Amino acid sequence: MSADEAPTRVSIAAGPLVGPVLRRVVGMFAARADLPLDRLDDAVLVADLVAARAPAHVVDDTVDVALESGTRSLDLRIGPLRAGGGSALVVEAAVPGVGNVIERLADGVEVETEGEQEFLRVRLAYGGSD
Amino acid sequence: MVDDKVSGRFSNRPQGAIDADIRLTLRARPENVPVVRHVVGALGDALDLAPAVIQDMRLAVTEACTNVVRHAYTEGDGWIELVVRPNGDVLEVTVADSGRGIEPSPDTAGPGLGLPLIAALADSFEIERMGNAGSRLVMSFLRTRATPVMGPA
Repeated sequence: MSADEAPTRVSIAAGPLVGPVLRRVVGMFAARADLPLDRLDDAVLVADLVAARAPAHVVDDTVDVALESGTRSLDLRIGPLRAGGGSALVVEAAVPGVGNVIERLADGVEVETEGEQEFLRVRLAYGGSD
Repeated sequence: MVDDKVSGRFSNRPQGAIDADIRLTLRARPENVPVVRHVVGALGDALDLAPAVIQDMRLAVTEACTNVVRHAYTEGDGWIELVVRPNGDVLEVTVADSGRGIEPSPDTAGPGLGLPLIAALADSFEIERMGNAGSRLVMSFLRTRATPVMGPA
């Protein structure tokens, strides 16, 4: 899923609106993907972490996220991020005493590189997803 | 053709990127209209807008997006783009498409209540047509408003 292919893309200027907007969009698409409530909650938590950490790593002061919901699955592609930003975003999702929240909640975490830019792909799913 | 009385201004400004605080791009499908509505509500809450403004903005954006879904694309899939740009005391909200824009579809006699409703709800609005490249409906809302247009009298 590239940004151009994604059915939904949201782009938010780094700042106080990232969290409120991103968590709503992710929450709605998680619900549309028919994720159960606990996984929907996980998806919103990942969105909140991305909103909090991504602005430090984005290009052009804008947080871009492409979303694609499937049957009981939701894919997020965060970026473009600066070189090293994908890994840094995951590392910074660690919470003392809890561990790395994104890695613990996601079914797949992958850093994709396009030229000098990176994209962080996060997949949340539930049993029987496509 | 749209009734001039309900349109602020027409133009054929070339399509290009809009500087924006928020840009949301989705498939022009009915199930995505509530997503846009929900995002506008979240945005209004985050900006601490008066409930009256949020209520009017949500309704106007819903009408604009419904117009796109119903009329903009006669063949195949298309896109809705929502762009929100706070500008001082005004919030500028744009709903854009890359299809036929707000032209009425062949199966309807003309525009329904959508555009007059938008004209009533927004403090100002204009329609920018870009030839075959689509159209933009740009709505401006003052951040402060005592009572919603569609609220109780």
